[in-house]
Amino acid sequence: MTNTIKVERAKKNWTQGDLAEKIGISRQSVNSIETGKFIPSTVLALKMAKVFGASVELIFQLEEND
Amino acid sequence: MEKVQKPKNNQIGFYCILSSLIYTICLIVVKKFHPSATLGIMISFIPTITFILFIRSFIKNINLMDEVERRIQLEAAVWGFSLGLLLLMTFGLLDSVINLKKENWGNVSFIIPCFYIFYFVGILISRFKYKQI
Repeated sequence: MTNTIKVERAKKNWTQGDLAEKIGISRQSVNSIETGKFIPSTVLALKMAKVFGASVELIFQLEEND
Repeated sequence: MEKVQKPKNNQIGFYCILSSLIYTICLIVVKKFHPSATLGIMISFIPTITFILFIRSFIKNINLMDEVERRIQLEAAVWGFSLGLLLLMTFGLLDSVINLKKENWGNVSFIIPCFYIFYFVGILISRFKYKQI
C-alpha cells in the first residue's frame, strides 16, 4: 500500500508533529504510517482524510501485489 | 479539525515502583525473619495486590496508546513471553540431560528477570521495525 501523506502535508505546510496533534497520535506513529511501515486502521485513515480535506482513496492506494 | 490532546496515565510508574518495593520488602521479611508458615503464606500474597494494580494501570496505559504503539506493545509481549518460555523449556531439557546444578544454572529464578529483559528487547525490535528509533 502506498500513501500520499507526505505530499498532502507539504500542501498544507504541516510537519509530522502537526499532523500527529491533529489526529491524536504520536509523531513517531505518523512517521511509521508515512513510510509505509504500518498500515493504519480505517478509523485513522478516515481521520487523516478528514484533516487533509481529501478522500481516503486519494491518500491511500493499493499496489498490484496487495 | 481541533488538536487532539492525548490523555496521559502517570499511575503506571507509581505502581511499577510500588510493586517492586513491596515485593522486595516481602522477600526480605520472608528470608531474614523466617515467619511462621501461615504468616509466610500471607506475606507471599501481599505483592499480588500491588502487582494486580500495576497490571491494571499497564492495560489502562495501553488503551490510551495509539494503534502503532499498541502493536509495538503486543509484539514486545510476544517476544518477552516466547523467549522466556523458550529459555525455560531449553533449561528443562538440559536439566534432564546433564542434571544442572541448582546453585549454578538449575535455579529457574534467574529466568524471571529474563522475561523483563526479553520484553524490553522486543520493544527495541518493534520500535526499530516501525522506524520509531
